[in-house]
Amino acid sequence: MPVDAEKEITRLWRALHGAQDEIGKTYYRWRQVALELAGPGAKPLEVGLRAAEVFGKEIGKGFLPRLNWLKGEDAFLMNLGRSLADIWGTEGGIAVAEKGAHPGEVLIRCTRDPWPSWAKEYGVPMEEVALCRERMFQAVLEDVSVFFRIPLKIELVKAIPRGQGETVLRLYKTA
Amino acid sequence: MARLLYEWDYSQYPGAKSYPHLFKPIQIGNLSVPNRIKYAATEDNFNTHDGFITDADVAYMRERAKGVVGGLCFMQGVYMDPGRQGQGYVGQAACWDDQFIPGLKRIADAIHAERAVAGFQLMDCGRVGAVEVDYCHGPSAVPQRLRIFKPVQEMSKADIQDVVQQHVAAARRGVAAGFDMMEISGIVGYLISNFISSYTNRRTDEYGGDIRGRMRMVVEIIQGVKQACGPDIPVGIRLCSEELLDDVRGNTPEESMQTYQIAEEAGADYISCTLGWQESIYPVISRDIPMGNWIHLAKRAKQHVKIPIQMAYRLFKPGLPNETIGAGELDIWEMCRSMIADPLMPKKVLEGRENEIRHCVACNLCLARLFRDAPMTCYINPVCAHESNPEFTDPPPAQDKKRIMIVGAGPAGLECAYMAARRGHEVHVYDQRSGIGGTLNEARNAPYGDDELWTCIEYQQAMCAKTGVQFHLGTAVTEQLLQDELPDTVVLATGPVYPQLTAKGGDHKKVVYLLDVMNGKTPVGGNVVVYGNRKPGIGCALHLAKQGKKVTLVGREKSAGFDVNPSFKWRYLIYMRQAGINAYNGCDIEEVTDEGVIVRSYDGYRWPVACDTVIVSEREANASLKQAALSEGIELFVIGDALVPRNLSSAVHDGYRIGMRI
Ligand SMILES: Cc1cc2nc3c(=O)[nH]c(=O)nc-3n(C[C@H](O)[C@H](O)[C@H](O)COP(=O)(O)OP(=O)(O)OC[C@H]3O[C@@H](n4cnc5c(N)ncnc54)[C@H](O)[C@@H]3O)c2cc1C
Ligand SMILES: Cc1cc2nc3c(=O)[nH]c(=O)nc-3n(C[C@H](O)[C@H](O)[C@H](O)COP(=O)(O)O)c2cc1C
Ligand code: SF4
Repeated sequence: MPVDAEKEITRLWRALHGAQDEIGKTYYRWRQVALELAGPGAKPLEVGLRAAEVFGKEIGKGFLPRLNWLKGEDAFLMNLGRSLADIWGTEGGIAVAEKGAHPGEVLIRCTRDPWPSWAKEYGVPMEEVALCRERMFQAVLEDVSVFFRIPLKIELVKAIPRGQGETVLRLYKTA
Repeated sequence: MARLLYEWDYSQYPGAKSYPHLFKPIQIGNLSVPNRIKYAATEDNFNTHDGFITDADVAYMRERAKGVVGGLCFMQGVYMDPGRQGQGYVGQAACWDDQFIPGLKRIADAIHAERAVAGFQLMDCGRVGAVEVDYCHGPSAVPQRLRIFKPVQEMSKADIQDVVQQHVAAARRGVAAGFDMMEISGIVGYLISNFISSYTNRRTDEYGGDIRGRMRMVVEIIQGVKQACGPDIPVGIRLCSEELLDDVRGNTPEESMQTYQIAEEAGADYISCTLGWQESIYPVISRDIPMGNWIHLAKRAKQHVKIPIQMAYRLFKPGLPNETIGAGELDIWEMCRSMIADPLMPKKVLEGRENEIRHCVACNLCLARLFRDAPMTCYINPVCAHESNPEFTDPPPAQDKKRIMIVGAGPAGLECAYMAARRGHEVHVYDQRSGIGGTLNEARNAPYGDDELWTCIEYQQAMCAKTGVQFHLGTAVTEQLLQDELPDTVVLATGPVYPQLTAKGGDHKKVVYLLDVMNGKTPVGGNVVVYGNRKPGIGCALHLAKQGKKVTLVGREKSAGFDVNPSFKWRYLIYMRQAGINAYNGCDIEEVTDEGVIVRSYDGYRWPVACDTVIVSEREANASLKQAALSEGIELFVIGDALVPRNLSSAVHDGYRIGMRI
């Protein structure tokens, strides 16, 4: 039977997007569980930020075998930026890493982010979405900085959940 | 006057004439060693999980001691701390208390019983340790790159002093146990190397900073151990000549050479030249690295220090070390895996029996098993790990002498043949091919060192000749021949069958078979699909990619190279990526068309892949002749790929075991 390319791709595309959709939903379901277990005194933002830290630390460990110093600092920073941008790609967003205005600076620019829509569905404040992403990326950098002996920082410059049209994070080497 | 433990006279042996530099004496510290041969320390996971020596380890070591014919024979590195942070392997020998001395003494005695020099090794596994506890220790808390290792705790100065004292105390126990030589292991990412490397030592106190600071603990250990051992027992150290850690900003080669000089200044009596870390991204000892690739590092080391230099690393044949020692570029030929594969390897060299050596095929299964907390075994040596069992080491003669017909002169058939013949049977080997070796004739054509697989056949050929096996080559065994010969026993070592593709269009003229491609009988086009993602398929894919062909691999296994051990598989995956070979794993061929094939994934997606040739490498068990033998009432065994298609290792192990049993 000949391959009907349109049919095969549609099926694959649907399955991919279904799986991506589950990423956000699963996260927010677990957030509910965590809040319930934490009791009425728990602050949702604190719980979210703690989760972001745990996730980031874990993702950072996965970066260590993939990154290397062979092509020097600029290439290293750009690779790191790309790896961070790729996290959005896996989730169904669109993000790229680009050279910043200053030496040793990389911008991660996200122009499509599925997280605000997922958050809305579960009644999660938009500011939490923005801050959790920043905290997660910061936690990714912890082990990477120590491992490669390069002091790194990342900070949120703009955020889609803040209604700014795109999310931009500035990754740079301190001192 | 240097101390000589045992007199050895090699002058009458052929090996001493062919390789004179290997069999001449050398002085190390105050000890005179009669030859240049060393069995290098080898962790084997044979000991109890609380560090006591077992019978299996003693027997294993005794065989290797026999092999070094008077040279150096080192036992595995011991861990030295009761907290077990330095323990890297579940069955690693311990030496943190006097209670371990009697067990260790058994090993020293076993080595001495073979009149060899007994070497003791001190090995704190540092950032790859703590196999039984939650944290390992190191100079700085640098995160682990590989998840299998435990998080690192930074050592305080008091911890450092403890470690120095543990080395000293363990050395004293080693001497009490009767060992003649002491070695500190600073190999592949263990504690010593963690302190030395700029990658893992970020300390700002006197134990960090520049290379002298990073060597401070090592110097204290060397000096303390020297004092504990006294003037008669030489103390050496294994040190990285190149860490191969430039991707994580490790030491430069110049810094490594400085460590050699500092160790010499501290009183080391020799240096064993090592390279690479378990964490480094470059391969060092797998089969794709040519033999002798690293020997230049010994020469460089000799230019930096005056004390003897020892080195291993893919020196599997005696010629190169003999030459290098003769040229003054190396002092001692170390061997690890070549003596796992054949404990008597240097003895056979000495006795002029090189063709009887079972060569290591550098597959790294031995290492892979250690990391999975399993006792070490060898891919190619069925006796390894069974040295304490005389049924394996010296199978008794057969009670009933039988006439045995072995069908197939591949590695399974040959292994079985010489073992059965050695036990007194009359053995006839038949093969429809005109030569021996079976599928290895084709397998050896795959790239990245697979020609070394053939060494197994050379060994088996010599053993068959020695034991009087009779060959009937160019003779296909048929039911008729079986009935005519009516042997007492038939061993079917006929290899696998390559079944016709069941896919629609499976009989298309573009479908060809693996062996015909690998032996050059069948030409293939420029755009090829190889069906089957186990090692034979991968070998074929790489072979064709090297010829400039575009290759796609399609196979049912979840990952390509599922049958290759993880310590080697990563190499194949990198070569495939570099060659642009696309692998569709968890997939089948649904149809062969004029344009190519239609691939179907395990979950039902379908897509076309254009190609002009499809090569079938999937194999099945071979049932031919089985029924015929059974119906004649002949005792029957099926071995190797004929039983279940696997690999060279299973062929050899099956052959040996059935050869022992008949
Ligand atoms: C390209 C390729 C790469 C490979 N790479 C590796 C590798 O890297 N590592 C590894 O471990 N293994 C590898 N293998 C697999 C390995 O070669 C086999 O597993 C091994 O050869 C099996 O040995 P065997 O003795 O069971 O069978 P075979 O080697 O297949 O020998 C069977 C013999 O029986 C003979 N025979 C069959 N029927 C009859 C009959 N009726 N009468 C007389 N003779 C008969 C055949 O002619 C053949 O010579 C590779 C194989 C290929 C093809
Ligand atoms: C299974 C295995 C265990 C080893 N255990 C030790 C050890 O306990 N101490 C050590 O210093 N080196 C150890 N090594 C390293 C070897 O001594 C040797 O340096 C290395 O394998 C390279 O030599 P080769 O190519 O001859 O195998 C081990 C190697 C292997 C393969
Ligand atoms: S397991 Fe493989 S690498 Fe290890 S000694 Fe045996 S043949 Fe050599």
